[in-house]
Amino acid sequence: MSRSAELFGSRWGLVLATLGMAVGTGNIWRFPRIAATNGGGSFLVAWVVFLLLWSVPLMIVEFSFGKRARKGVIGAFVAHGGPGMAWMGAWAALCASAIGAYYAVVSGWCLRYLAAAVTGGLRGEGAGEALWRSFNSTPAAMITQVLALGICVSVVWFGVRGIERVAKVLIPTLFVLVVVLALRAVTLPGAVKGLEFLFTIDWQLLAEPTIWLQALTQNAWDTGAGWGLIVTYAIYMRMREDVSLNAFLIGFGNNSVSLLAGIMVLCTVFAINPQAQSEIVGAGNEGLTFIWMPALFDAMPGGGFFMVLFFLALSFAAITSLISMLELATRVLIDLGLRRKPALLGFAAVALLAGVPSALKLEVFQNQDWVWGVGLMVSGLFFAIAAARYGLERLRTEVVNGDGCDLPIGRWWVVLVGIVVPIEAVVLIVWWLVAAYRDDPANWLAPFDTYNVGTVLWQWAAALLVLGLANRWLARRTLKEAGR
Amino acid sequence: MSIGAAVTMILITGVVWGGFVALLLRAIRREARKRDHERR
Repeated sequence: MSRSAELFGSRWGLVLATLGMAVGTGNIWRFPRIAATNGGGSFLVAWVVFLLLWSVPLMIVEFSFGKRARKGVIGAFVAHGGPGMAWMGAWAALCASAIGAYYAVVSGWCLRYLAAAVTGGLRGEGAGEALWRSFNSTPAAMITQVLALGICVSVVWFGVRGIERVAKVLIPTLFVLVVVLALRAVTLPGAVKGLEFLFTIDWQLLAEPTIWLQALTQNAWDTGAGWGLIVTYAIYMRMREDVSLNAFLIGFGNNSVSLLAGIMVLCTVFAINPQAQSEIVGAGNEGLTFIWMPALFDAMPGGGFFMVLFFLALSFAAITSLISMLELATRVLIDLGLRRKPALLGFAAVALLAGVPSALKLEVFQNQDWVWGVGLMVSGLFFAIAAARYGLERLRTEVVNGDGCDLPIGRWWVVLVGIVVPIEAVVLIVWWLVAAYRDDPANWLAPFDTYNVGTVLWQWAAALLVLGLANRWLARRTLKEAGR
Repeated sequence: MSIGAAVTMILITGVVWGGFVALLLRAIRREARKRDHERR
């Protein structure tokens, strides 16, 4: 099959695969925690605002880049920003690939807990915590990391048709699972307290910048906007495919799942163990998901069954996101001249090795999540810069509102991508780094700390140095392959 | 549940879930129209 013949079979294949990319563990394990610790209803207001001020505008940029350039993220930057911007595309590819390396470890954790839930290994007091302590940061976590990567490789091996086939089964099932879990949670006695907590607005909190910054961060991390993953799937759009309606659909679909997950988790917490709610939502992503959720399900009538559904949903969310990260890297390597299968196997081997330290040491995982998570905000900024370089008005009229458009977009999008998104990105990056500096001012520049500023700056500097030196080669190779 | 929380719940779920359903329906209609057009 020729490269140009690799297209999604239908619009729904594209939408479901892209939703699979967007809906990840962050929707289920981060959103409820962040919503609960940042004022519930007040956070939700800001979160909806930033869906429209960050995620959707950047998704439109990404869909346009992929549809017009028909190349991976480096090629898309070269096609829109010129050869001098290849390093920016490579930065986006690096961030998503580095996240993919440790995300395989996370996906492995989900699969391990799914297996334990199915075999009854999470029943009984403290079973979730005992499994976490005996499994996390041991060679067993490497085995599940390999399993997760193996599953995703077997899907990406078949190209876009493999991705489409899997997404058409997993994503509707994931939606059903999350709806069933949310319905179960809201029908528990006392669950209404969880709803009240989640939806009560404290108007004074809306004057707090932290609420808005956390809401923007959540949108930046859990919708997948500005990561380069949408560019990758948009390469396989049919020619007369819509851009803007699909972007809105994925943004709202992703946040719909987050809201369901928030209702599910908080109603379960308030119904089963309301006294420990601060401790539960303050336990971190892993603590909430792998220690507290099994304990809460265990105390719930029919909890064993719903525990299986919960970890099944989490595993589906993780696997479909990991698939998109593998495809992004594979596609970049294809653009650089490799064939799909060697590119995929080569990247999977590198991702496996790069993920091993995260599998064996939780601090390494947390460090990588911090460094490349903030790096994604730089990625979002780069997308806005490349789009502005190409001409936002030109992109809007030629591509967004061009052939196949189902939802014409006005000039407001030009203002958002040209002015608002860059401001949001700079404010976010500065805020996160200043917060990290305040946490540990004495060691702020130390390179090997888990969460400080120095670890971010040193790793970014090393990456940018390599990418800057490789810029000309990356641009030349990508253009050469496109010319064939 | 307080009235304020109930109103917020209706508004937030209405915007997010209602928005998603409305966009999905629009996409389904537009896709059907495109298919009809292609068949002709």
